[in-house]
Amino acid sequence: MTALLAARGLTRRFGGLTALDGVDLTLGEGEILGVIGPNGAGKTTLFSLIGGSLAPSAGEILLDGRPVTRLAAHRRVRAGIVRTHQIVRPFANLTIFENVMVAAIHAHRRTEGHARDRVAEALELAGLADRPERYPASLTLAGRKRLELARALATGPRVLLLDEVVAGVNPAEAQAFAALIRRIRDQRGVSIILTEHVMPAVMSLSDRIMVLEYGKRIAEGTPGEVVADPRVIAAYLGSEAGQGAAS
Amino acid sequence: MTAPPLIPRRMAGVFVAGCAVLAVLPALDLSPYAHNQLTLSYVMIAGALAWNWMGGFVGQVSFGHAAMFGIGGFVAGRLMLHMQLPPPVCWLAGGVVAGVFTLAAHPTLRLRGPYFSIATIGIGEISRQVFTYWEEFTGGATGLSLPISAVQKYQLYWWALALAAAVALASIAIRRSSFGLRLLAIKADVDAAADVGISAALYQDAIFALSGAVVGVSGGIFASYFVFIEPGDMFGFDRSITFVLMAVIGGVGTSLGPALGAIVYVVLRNYLLASYPELHLGLFGVLVIVIILFQPLGITGLVRWLVRRVQRAASPGQP
Repeated sequence: MTALLAARGLTRRFGGLTALDGVDLTLGEGEILGVIGPNGAGKTTLFSLIGGSLAPSAGEILLDGRPVTRLAAHRRVRAGIVRTHQIVRPFANLTIFENVMVAAIHAHRRTEGHARDRVAEALELAGLADRPERYPASLTLAGRKRLELARALATGPRVLLLDEVVAGVNPAEAQAFAALIRRIRDQRGVSIILTEHVMPAVMSLSDRIMVLEYGKRIAEGTPGEVVADPRVIAAYLGSEAGQGAAS
Repeated sequence: MTAPPLIPRRMAGVFVAGCAVLAVLPALDLSPYAHNQLTLSYVMIAGALAWNWMGGFVGQVSFGHAAMFGIGGFVAGRLMLHMQLPPPVCWLAGGVVAGVFTLAAHPTLRLRGPYFSIATIGIGEISRQVFTYWEEFTGGATGLSLPISAVQKYQLYWWALALAAAVALASIAIRRSSFGLRLLAIKADVDAAADVGISAALYQDAIFALSGAVVGVSGGIFASYFVFIEPGDMFGFDRSITFVLMAVIGGVGTSLGPALGAIVYVVLRNYLLASYPELHLGLFGVLVIVIILFQPLGITGLVRWLVRRVQRAASPGQP
């Protein structure tokens, strides 16, 4: 499997705090990589570095083997790396259609098709095709999360970074989101990195899982391997539980 | 699916008819007072609408547009005096210089909200000082007299009308274009805009320069209309505030609201200056406070509210 996205020695310090410490990462074409870890492990920092809204203190990021580390966030989107936010950020002054439209504008240069068709497609896929003339304020939280997804999709991503899409919605919605994420990968061939606190969702969606703790990668493997790893259990449940599992 | 036209056909029809009526008004025995008020209104409509591209569409409220207004006025004046170029060429040149000057204000765009506003106050005041002391160019405190004949001055009515009409059409087109969509996205959330591939720096630079250029052109026509100009007035802080006032009265961020605000401002200011010369600024202050408290979208908001009420009254069955 050739790596679509690769990161080497990714480090980010905030003053004396090292939020992310020498993390390596690879993502294959069409792969779903789950990133898990306790609060403060550095998941969102990792996303900000890959998405380009934060500059790394050290390390580099490659897309198709070409470095994108120095590209500004908006240029990374045009290169194909797109993120969504844990706390949704719709453009409140634009309608649902316009929210997605403004994202589709730059994509049609790189991919085939008219921007308006891309918008219709993204809205359809995200389940927002009815009444696109309404404003985001009229949507439920789950609806706004769908809008965030539709907007990211309309940019024509190759790598999609999903920051806790499932968190905070009810179990039925969570299942619908999991199905949606799988459809995005299967129908669009988009490679996905996702972070999530809802464990069943991560475990069932991810092909591979990476575990972060205190900014370091402590484990990586298939969902089955990772849950059995004593270091992971220690990170989540405390060291005694980890030792207990190991012995 | 194809994109809707930038200017809807019905709106274009109404617009052309309105401009035609205004264009023939002077032939219909228009009083000199009305002629003067209309000409000034047109100049201010152009300025207010262009200010709104930055202050309304992008939400970056500038308190420094007097700098562009003054630069446009003085560049046009100097070109008329020394090169004897036709006035429209001079106004355009003034607009171009004002636009380039605005590009030089690029570092202020790192700031948002009140911080940007404060930085633009600085730009306005620095310009006022520099151009007041640059006597070779502006004539200093004694000012500059422009070679404008009485006939030319009368004809400014149509030039100002043409400018206002062009800027109004541009406002509608920008608001409905994908360019306008990007500006509104930047206004809503500059980081999320970057997350969908929008370069905030590029689009803010473009619209800021465009806004400054148009305000520069309106400064040129304004200078020609008053024939005599001096830096203290053209670059004054109260002139910068005028643009904000007109937009707030008419409706910040709406496509055409600031045009209404400009008309109200010109007419009201003249009346207040004549009737309550000491109080007129204070009364404007009270007006702005009332608008912001009760109807943040100004006249446009008021009209929308009335339309909704009438519609509701007309169809009582609908919730």
